[in-house]
Amino acid sequence: MAILVDRETRVLIQGITGRSGVQVTSELLDYGTKVVAGVTPGKGGQEVDTVPVFNSVSEAIKTVGEVDVAMVYVPPLSARAAAMEAIEAKIALVHIFVEKMPIFDVACVLSAAQKAGVCVLGPASVGAISPGEGKIGSIGGPAPDNVFSKGPIGVISRSGGMCSELGLLITNSGFGQSTVVGIGGDLIVGTTFSDLLIEFEQDRDTKAVVAFGEVGGSSEIEVARLIEEGKFTKPFIIFLAGKFAEKLPRDTSLGHAGAIVGMESTMAQKIKALRDAGAIVAENFEEIPDLIKKAVG
Amino acid sequence: MKLYEFEGHRILAKAGIESPFFIVCSSIDEVKQARKRLKFPIVAKVQVLTGRRGKAGGVKFFTKEKQLLTFAKEHFGQDFMGEKVRFVSLSQKVEIKKEYYMSITYDTVKKLPFLIFSFQGGIDIEEIKKKDPSLIKTFDIDPISGPKDKDLAKFFEQDKTVLADFALRLWDAFSRYDLRLIEVNPIGLTADGYLMAIDAKIILDDAGLLRHRDLDILPKGAISAIPTDREILAKKIDEDDYRGSAGSTFIEFDGDVVVLASGGGASLLVMDSVIDAGGRPANYTEYSGNPPAEKVQKLTKIALDREGLSGCLVAGAVANFTDIYETLRGFIEGLRQVRPKPTYPIVIRRGGPRQEEAYEMIKKVAKREGFDIHLFGPETPISVACQKMVELANDYKIRNPKLES
Repeated sequence: MAILVDRETRVLIQGITGRSGVQVTSELLDYGTKVVAGVTPGKGGQEVDTVPVFNSVSEAIKTVGEVDVAMVYVPPLSARAAAMEAIEAKIALVHIFVEKMPIFDVACVLSAAQKAGVCVLGPASVGAISPGEGKIGSIGGPAPDNVFSKGPIGVISRSGGMCSELGLLITNSGFGQSTVVGIGGDLIVGTTFSDLLIEFEQDRDTKAVVAFGEVGGSSEIEVARLIEEGKFTKPFIIFLAGKFAEKLPRDTSLGHAGAIVGMESTMAQKIKALRDAGAIVAENFEEIPDLIKKAVG
Repeated sequence: MKLYEFEGHRILAKAGIESPFFIVCSSIDEVKQARKRLKFPIVAKVQVLTGRRGKAGGVKFFTKEKQLLTFAKEHFGQDFMGEKVRFVSLSQKVEIKKEYYMSITYDTVKKLPFLIFSFQGGIDIEEIKKKDPSLIKTFDIDPISGPKDKDLAKFFEQDKTVLADFALRLWDAFSRYDLRLIEVNPIGLTADGYLMAIDAKIILDDAGLLRHRDLDILPKGAISAIPTDREILAKKIDEDDYRGSAGSTFIEFDGDVVVLASGGGASLLVMDSVIDAGGRPANYTEYSGNPPAEKVQKLTKIALDREGLSGCLVAGAVANFTDIYETLRGFIEGLRQVRPKPTYPIVIRRGGPRQEEAYEMIKKVAKREGFDIHLFGPETPISVACQKMVELANDYKIRNPKLES
């Protein structure tokens, strides 16, 4: 089963003729994902790696039929218009890979998506992979099998790099992953830790979830509440990074736009809320495999 | 990017929000000139990015020139709450009948912008919250349509016409200039019934800055108002080239291990791991999103161009789409340009596309050119490679005791 993406997922790529669009198309096709159409205004009629290119999303859907996921691979200041086009076409999941999208544009896109009943993953999301089933986005790059393997552990991180890092750590310790999702490091994102935990709770293939948390924001507090309310009942293992930053002045932003010192909850508040709710907080990154072993045997 | 108060007032003015007339001074001479254009009592405000400057004595009323000049002399070029003071603003005192609080920022849980309002302006919003949370009211805003006049009028129970008008203007500035936060505290209600922004706190969304090249904003450092030379140089790397990111965030510390981390998440893990192992990072920076080799080369050169180093750590998670060969080629090119030639240990821990090819290249370069490079692949956890870096740096310090000064 897994979440977000499986064997049947039909994908459309916006910005398919750009450098990263071309790259991701070939990676997805290699992995067996059904990339059925691409969109670049003005380049309709071309092909990228056997995938037909259209001038607009609606034109693409008219020709190839319904799609499940639109992936946005366009420059940052064009991302809002591209995502809006996918939302208007009511594509169920819009994955925004684009980094450095202005937060005002993100808020507009998320507001429109909510009204249209469309889910958004990202912005600045590396994508999602259900090993052996399918993937969306650039997660795992050209060689996802080097780090990901099929198994019972769900993985969530804001960071794309840490998705792979956790994937590898879990694979090397003899477990595999049900689905690995990079939600993006921006201040506001379409899909949160909590949204995914609700999906993982329903997923029979997922026995436990491992997450990589960061300084800033309050998504970990939301998770703690979710666990307390009994809406997520599987083992939840989390590592929190960015302790060093708490000594920096308030409002300092780090590598991720959403990692802002002093914003909302402190590290200590997060750890306390998570532990009180029954989550497993890893002290060291390298002890995660042992914690998984203890949790799912 | 956080703005100075006077920069904030300029943005408010673009949305038609009035502030008391003010003059920004950067020297005692300018204060003397400015004071002739104003009538006493005069309000002098130290311009710093840290909040709560009023409580710390950074905002004072003066009725005589002598005291005003003493205040200015005490602050110019001096440290105020950890920041060097470059500017002091002078304005005429305005008679205020009432003070309100209003701000707009993003609610990261609802994923919407929202307005925060209180009839109790003039004190810190956190303190109002502690005192009585019911004094604070919030209003969610649909970012596409913006707030509606009639809904705002319902929201503000008193002085609703002027407050709704003020809120619309605040929203105009917030949405038009890609702000992450706009806060006016206090808003002053004047004797003739007008609202004025007595203070202005604005944080710009860095991702939106590209659309506002016309805004006249002074460059800021990563954690203080005045950027260091390295911070300025590092920031310029991304301004000149949009592909991937390198150096946009560069924070200097007084440690001795340079950190060139990759990825927003991994960079945090790297810093924590170095510190946990007893190391002292010389900086925080990050490159990611598959930047071209030249950008990494520039960042390497900027970060390593300092004395007293005992190590350099290049670390990141297993990359998804960043070309490790290209980025590490950039690192090596940068390393070659550093003078004097680095003799301290260099630890590299990477994984991802073309990593093995990159390591072959580095092994050859290290051997041929005599660099002390230690390579770790994805089989070594990041945290373990960071511990190794600290051990090697400590050994280096023992072998080179003059570093310990």
